[in-house]
Amino acid sequence: MRSLLRRLSLLFNREEATRDLEDEMALHRQLRAESLHRFGSADADAAAARRFGNAVQMTERSRDAWGFGGADAFWQDARYALRRLRQRPGFTASVVGILALGIGATTAMFSAVDAAMLRPLPFARPHELVTLNRLNIPFNPGNGREDNEQAFDITSAMAMRDLFSSVAAYASGGLNLDDPERPRRLTAGVVSGAFFETIGVQAARGRAITPNDGMVNAPKVAVLSWSYWQEDFSDHEIIGTTIPLNGTAYEVVGIMPPGFSFPSGSDVWIPMSIPTTPATFQPFRGWLPSNIIARLAPGVSTDAAEARMREAWRRVVSTYPRQPGQKLSIDAQLEAVLTEGAAPPLRATLVSDRRSALLVLLATTGLLLLIACANVTNLLLSYGAARARELGVRSVLGATRPRLLRQLLAESVMLSVFGAVVGVAIAPVALRVLRTMMPAQLTGVAPVQLDLRVLAFATLLALVTGILFGLWPAFGATRGSTVSAIKAGGGHGASASGARRSQRILVAAEIALAGVLLVGAGLMLRSFERLVNTDSGISADAVATLELSFGGPGVRTPAGAVRNSRIQRLESILAELRRQPGVVAAGAVNDLPLRGGGGIGISVSVEGAPDSSKQYFPRYLVASDGYFETMGIQLRTGRLFAAGEPDENVAIVSKSMADIYWPNASPLGRTFLFGGDPPPLTVIGVVDDVREGGLERDPGPQMYLLAKRNLSANAAIVARSNGRTTDAALLAALRQAVRNVDPAQPVYNVRMMDQVVGASMAARKANTLLISLFGLLAILIAVLGVYAVAANAVAQRAREFGIRAALGATRGDLLRHVGGEMLLVVTGGVLAGATIAWAASRVMTGLVYGVTVHDVGVFATAPTVLVLAAVAATIVPARRAMRVEPVEVMREE
Amino acid sequence: MTREDIPQGTLDMLILRTLATSQEGQLHGFEIASAIETVSSSVFVVEEGSLYPALQRMLVQGWIAGEWGRTADNRRARYYRVTASGRKQLERAMKSYDRVSQAIAAILNITPRGT
Repeated sequence: MRSLLRRLSLLFNREEATRDLEDEMALHRQLRAESLHRFGSADADAAAARRFGNAVQMTERSRDAWGFGGADAFWQDARYALRRLRQRPGFTASVVGILALGIGATTAMFSAVDAAMLRPLPFARPHELVTLNRLNIPFNPGNGREDNEQAFDITSAMAMRDLFSSVAAYASGGLNLDDPERPRRLTAGVVSGAFFETIGVQAARGRAITPNDGMVNAPKVAVLSWSYWQEDFSDHEIIGTTIPLNGTAYEVVGIMPPGFSFPSGSDVWIPMSIPTTPATFQPFRGWLPSNIIARLAPGVSTDAAEARMREAWRRVVSTYPRQPGQKLSIDAQLEAVLTEGAAPPLRATLVSDRRSALLVLLATTGLLLLIACANVTNLLLSYGAARARELGVRSVLGATRPRLLRQLLAESVMLSVFGAVVGVAIAPVALRVLRTMMPAQLTGVAPVQLDLRVLAFATLLALVTGILFGLWPAFGATRGSTVSAIKAGGGHGASASGARRSQRILVAAEIALAGVLLVGAGLMLRSFERLVNTDSGISADAVATLELSFGGPGVRTPAGAVRNSRIQRLESILAELRRQPGVVAAGAVNDLPLRGGGGIGISVSVEGAPDSSKQYFPRYLVASDGYFETMGIQLRTGRLFAAGEPDENVAIVSKSMADIYWPNASPLGRTFLFGGDPPPLTVIGVVDDVREGGLERDPGPQMYLLAKRNLSANAAIVARSNGRTTDAALLAALRQAVRNVDPAQPVYNVRMMDQVVGASMAARKANTLLISLFGLLAILIAVLGVYAVAANAVAQRAREFGIRAALGATRGDLLRHVGGEMLLVVTGGVLAGATIAWAASRVMTGLVYGVTVHDVGVFATAPTVLVLAAVAATIVPARRAMRVEPVEVMREE
Repeated sequence: MTREDIPQGTLDMLILRTLATSQEGQLHGFEIASAIETVSSSVFVVEEGSLYPALQRMLVQGWIAGEWGRTADNRRARYYRVTASGRKQLERAMKSYDRVSQAIAAILNITPRGT
């Protein structure tokens, strides 16, 4: 204890203590010299010094005694390293720059991965939460007729009390806030009564939705998100008041805590009943995008739940009545459950399709960082020759090898720490860029942020990289013999050729890694090219669109009067729109192409066609007259919907649908039953396939029904300009048309169709851009490495080249010599890179589109690009080697 | 480098013993070195400088205390004396040294030589 105090006092009086010690030792030597002198020694001072031993080392060892072991030496090393780095600002800046790039990119990417995949979900005991895939929610249309008599649905899971302690449903939809002054569309989380109980999250104010709220005739309640409350209501007490949503008053009972956003982006939560009723469907576009979440009962593992659910699925499907060989729609469900999993962990469901992109991006930044490290190692090795002399001197002065190693490592760790500091400083910028580039991938349940975890990651990264790139050169530099290092004067020693060999290996490794990144970038670019050239089936130029939702009850089965008023409003809007200047065509559809989301498929029965063994569920769309002309969807045969179509029971089908159901005949005039219900619909035309869910998804069969017959509450209005009107004017005309009909009607997603197309490609575009950017940086760094090594080799061997030239080697010989050496390195690296990429490209499977992960073009182009870049980087040093004048080199020696 | 020439504990013991048995009770570094040299008569080939790290170590341990003073010819020097805990340490060290050397002696005696 007291020795600790003494150490502390020495820590603060370090300089004084050192001075005392030095005085004391000086006195000793002086007294010794005097005594030796008295005995007649000739050179008493030198003899005294010899007897005393290495004073520097003694001081050092004494200070070790004062210190707190490693920590103390650490500061000393750090101070020394700092001094060394300050002496070489250019070197330090370039190393810190390269590392900052690598660490900054990796840190930003890590924070995204951390939020999506690593950080615990902000729910109680999140590891107990699973998603139950493909389970339906029973529907009660309210006319006494229940559908799905004894299906396997959410109530079946609720009954498995030994497996799940709680089961809930949630869906994300939209609701109109009926405020005449500020009509607004809110994102609504529609949740069953047990939802908040299941995830274990409580309201910050008031209460969350409870099971009682989920009863069929319970009073209408709503819970607000913290941010929506802050935005619109924070100035007054909101709990207990009502807000009007889609024509219904909801009592606000609570406000969720800040940051809580699940399902993602919710402004408001309202309850859904189980079974659902027509009212439940209000916030949705005709179908319920429901998800089912369950909390495992105590002691039940996810594996056990998965196994039990699969077993239950199989049992239920086997009890369905069927004719021999008949395929039922439930079979497709079962198949999907068996491939997707019946009860996967919630986190897996939430990251699902973003997972591979995020991981590939993180791996990409990691590779970039590795290349950066290799390059820094290279730079350190280049300096190693110059360092050898300094190290030799220090070792003569009594520094031991571990001491020197520690010193050199302190320098490299300090470099990487600086790199990390700059990297972390630029990480928020990188993150902001990421956010604007890939908002969809970064919005999740947990916000992406640079917090302590991310900082800890960056620190760890800095330490690991510092040791990674510092260790090799440090070992190399301290290995050589002291004497030869001092004598050699740097540059020609044996250690220099060893360093050159290391450098060649490193450059080959850099090129290999860059090759891997380049192949990845190539695959992404080719995929993107394919995607851009994909025929979407529409022509989006000069088309503007907005979406709206007619409020009021009864979305799924609107009563006659409501339906008629909606149709009237829609037709008035379209009529207004067609009157607007610059608008040449206008129409409406229930679901915009490429807007994402699923939509619903409905089974149809075709008269005269035999029951095929494969079940199809053609996508069902509802369109007005004018829609196809506006959207530029080409008619193949027959005719389009006309204004004032006399017969409601007509349909237009897509080419795929025509090929499936009427493969050998014209579908025109043929009829089919929609969902099996009469009256039959007559096919009047066939149009091109339109990509709906996204550009990358093959369009399945599609059918268009007349808006007049099947209007849903949600509609997208589209208008085509005459080509001379500006986008802004067109969008304004679109808004004006709606306002002229009903000023209180909220509209949302008012944008050009181009933007919809762009948004559908945004994720891929961002991934492609990022991976290509990293690929480009990788080439840049690798090429710098090639240049440095070639230049270093030429500089160090100028003498050898001079002698060769003197002995009659032509310039061509010298060029071949240098070029051949580098070519060997580059070829080795490129081959290794291509091999690694070939083996590893399977991780890209989920990311490519229209090409295979072993695309021959990419695997041929990437190495060629690398070799060319490397050759370009070698030309300058090689030319310098050619120009070596024998006489000058000799004179320098 | 002769850092390992003399075991650290042994040097500590020698210093403590020198200080404990000196008549003045206080010695500066050169006096300690000279005393050890006289007593041990070159048995230990030690760089004299290694005395100082050892002194610093024992200062931190609290086995010895140092005080600045003046030599006979008025030169500034640090005088060391052994503390109470230093004496205890010396006792402990001597005992264990005795045990070890007796054990070694016993082993050497019973081992037949020259076979």
